[in-house]
Amino acid sequence: MLQYLLKRLLGLIPTLALVGLLVFMFVHLLPGDPARLAAGPDATPQTVELVRQDLGLDKSLPEQFVRFASGVVRGDFGRSLRTKRPVATEIAERFAPTFWLTVWSMAWSVAIGMTIGVFSAVWRNRWPDRVGMALAVSGISFPAFALGMLLMQIFSVQLGWLPTVGADTWRHYILPSLTLGAAVAAIMARFTRSSFVDILHEDYVRTARAKGLPESRVIVKHGLRNALIPVVTMMGLQFGFLLGGSIVVEVVFNWPGMGRLLVDAVDMRDYPVIQGLVLLFSLEFVLINLAVDVLYAVINPTIRYR
Amino acid sequence: MKVLLRSLLVPALALAVAAAGPAFASKDVVFAVASTFTTTDPYDANDTLSQAMAKSFYEGLYGFDKDMKMIPVLAEGYEVSKDGLVYTIKLKKGIKFQDGTDFKADAVKVNLDRVTNPDNHLKRYGLYNNNIAKVEVVDDYTARITLKTPFSPFIAQLAHPSTVMISPTALKQWGNKDIAFHPVGTGPFKFVEWKQPDYLKVAKFDGYWKKGYPKVDTITWKPVVDNNSRAALMQTGEAHFTYPVSYELADVLKAKPDLELVAAPSIVLRYLSMNTQKKPFDNPKVRQAIAYAINKEALAKVAFAGYATPAQGVAPQGVEYAVKIGEWPYDLAKAKQLMKEAGYPDGFETELWSAYNHSTAAKVTQFIQQQLQQIGIKTKITLLEAGQRVEKVESWQDPATAPVRLYYVGWSTSTGEADWALRPLLDGESWPPKLFNTAYYKNEKFDADIKNAQLATDSKKKAELYKDAQETAYKDAPWAPLVVEKLLSAHSKKLTGVYVIPDASFNFTEIDLK
Repeated sequence: MLQYLLKRLLGLIPTLALVGLLVFMFVHLLPGDPARLAAGPDATPQTVELVRQDLGLDKSLPEQFVRFASGVVRGDFGRSLRTKRPVATEIAERFAPTFWLTVWSMAWSVAIGMTIGVFSAVWRNRWPDRVGMALAVSGISFPAFALGMLLMQIFSVQLGWLPTVGADTWRHYILPSLTLGAAVAAIMARFTRSSFVDILHEDYVRTARAKGLPESRVIVKHGLRNALIPVVTMMGLQFGFLLGGSIVVEVVFNWPGMGRLLVDAVDMRDYPVIQGLVLLFSLEFVLINLAVDVLYAVINPTIRYR
Repeated sequence: MKVLLRSLLVPALALAVAAAGPAFASKDVVFAVASTFTTTDPYDANDTLSQAMAKSFYEGLYGFDKDMKMIPVLAEGYEVSKDGLVYTIKLKKGIKFQDGTDFKADAVKVNLDRVTNPDNHLKRYGLYNNNIAKVEVVDDYTARITLKTPFSPFIAQLAHPSTVMISPTALKQWGNKDIAFHPVGTGPFKFVEWKQPDYLKVAKFDGYWKKGYPKVDTITWKPVVDNNSRAALMQTGEAHFTYPVSYELADVLKAKPDLELVAAPSIVLRYLSMNTQKKPFDNPKVRQAIAYAINKEALAKVAFAGYATPAQGVAPQGVEYAVKIGEWPYDLAKAKQLMKEAGYPDGFETELWSAYNHSTAAKVTQFIQQQLQQIGIKTKITLLEAGQRVEKVESWQDPATAPVRLYYVGWSTSTGEADWALRPLLDGESWPPKLFNTAYYKNEKFDADIKNAQLATDSKKKAELYKDAQETAYKDAPWAPLVVEKLLSAHSKKLTGVYVIPDASFNFTEIDLK
């Protein structure tokens, strides 16, 4: 297993190198001159040239790429074209809020989603199933933007129980994680249900019942573990997406996270920040996939890796 | 005895605490604004918001009061030589920077030399038109600035929110780039911290030269991007002031008893420019027809919820030397007539671009599309986002192949005077990519008027020249001037002294919280 892990981690490097090259090319293909954008409509061509030199954009593309690549190897991701601060600092400041929001959203959405999914599967086609799936459909269809605004109107403005914007105290995490988690919980519920429904037809479940085990034991100990594999895959994907920072929730709750950073950076063609963020997201996805694969082996001991 | 003392002690303490209570209650104000700040260095910022925020800790030689009238701030007064080249500025005495340095004429030299030095790559380099020949320190409280060619709006450039006095000691200590992270000025508040992108905090500067000011203890500038979230902050009382207020929320906030909604006049002019170098817009009859075909009153109601007034000329009221020529009347019959005379009785097809992609711009362009359809002009709408705008319009290198035709855009001049309101938009030398003349308009008389106004030293002569320039441009109709926006802001009734001034910056010298 350890060998397997090491092999996978080594495979990270060529993957990231390729991603780095692709994102560099893509970002420079976007229309719009960052120097002109940074200098503003008021600026004379001379000023734009000065800004261009300042940002290092007057060098040829291959030269800029070499600068970028050699910087990355040393851990220097350059400076933001907008704020002139190191990209690493900009991203680091935003990482923790996004990470913790993701963790909390996943925590409660997985707990609630899986519970609803299990209940729906066990009592399938009866009322708990109908209620559960109705909730799931509305969770997926209700736009996160509207949900966030609605929760803010009710709980912050009308009732005054919770704060509106920002990420300062634990109370600030409640509404955003509810909003973010709603769609994830809904997806979890459906996945768990369908995976579970399959499992409940299997022979070993029948055997467990025949052995006289209480139903709850049958479901939790024997059924759940086997149903988890597709669910864990979906969890990994969701975690990866959320870790990219849900821009909608970040806008509504003014969350100081990476989603807003990315959108602002794309808007102003802030190349170093865009490149840094995309590399980070790629790294996150690769690591999450690795974690999910390891989890498979934990859940199902028959899976062995070489 | 002990019991007596003890029984007296508690009420005595209570009394002391009560008496000290009001004196210790801190006046902390929160401003909820629409975007994050780009920098604290006004010489390197081109967005109005960052420049407005920097007024917390920076001041310039001149400035604008809440009605956008130019007033001396750090300067006592100035004299200009007969040839219009040498400005001698007398400074106020007894002013200290927030790091204890005395404000003297060397600060003027250090700051102006810094921005006009191309090696510093500052975004505001172009504001001074490469026109400052040298800055000299005559004595501690007198500075002399020599220009290369006479430029009558020069003092307005000194009043621009970018032209501030940064402490020379701080500049030496932190250098050209890092000064943005450690601002030190003469303003009423000193910089405390900037927790990106959460908030920027400033606190009262006890050594501020205006005694008794500022009247509050701290200001926290909070960027909150979403309109609804900003409004929510106002409703819960977490913020005391917000700008801008989106039109859909205006009524919600107006209805709140503890909030006040303010619709302030502005010098932000919205217009539709037409590429006069390309058929059919090279025909003045076509351009006039378009101007006649748009109902500006209805536009103000539909797209701006009534918070705009029809434009009265090519420069909005409030700009120095702007003339009120009159609203271009809405006359559909005349428009159709002109189209027929121009040889387009059945109209034509063209492109309508917008410089912005927010919902107001979407409404405006759809409205214009509909109005132009009535005289047979079919338009295809494209809302440009910032990068596209730069590529397709602002940075387009060859005027002969420029793709822009009808272009919805706006402008406001932060110097408050006519040169910067007219020249970058209508002068023959201002075609993209140099400046912002998206109509590719060129009129010899207009250019001559602008140039002579720059050289004129007599204010009556300047007024005449600018009047002629504006009337010339208005008649030629390279634009259909649309509306002048009102600036919508809201503040808690407990907060006084905070104003949105016509160029959409803020004035808060008299800020106070009850």
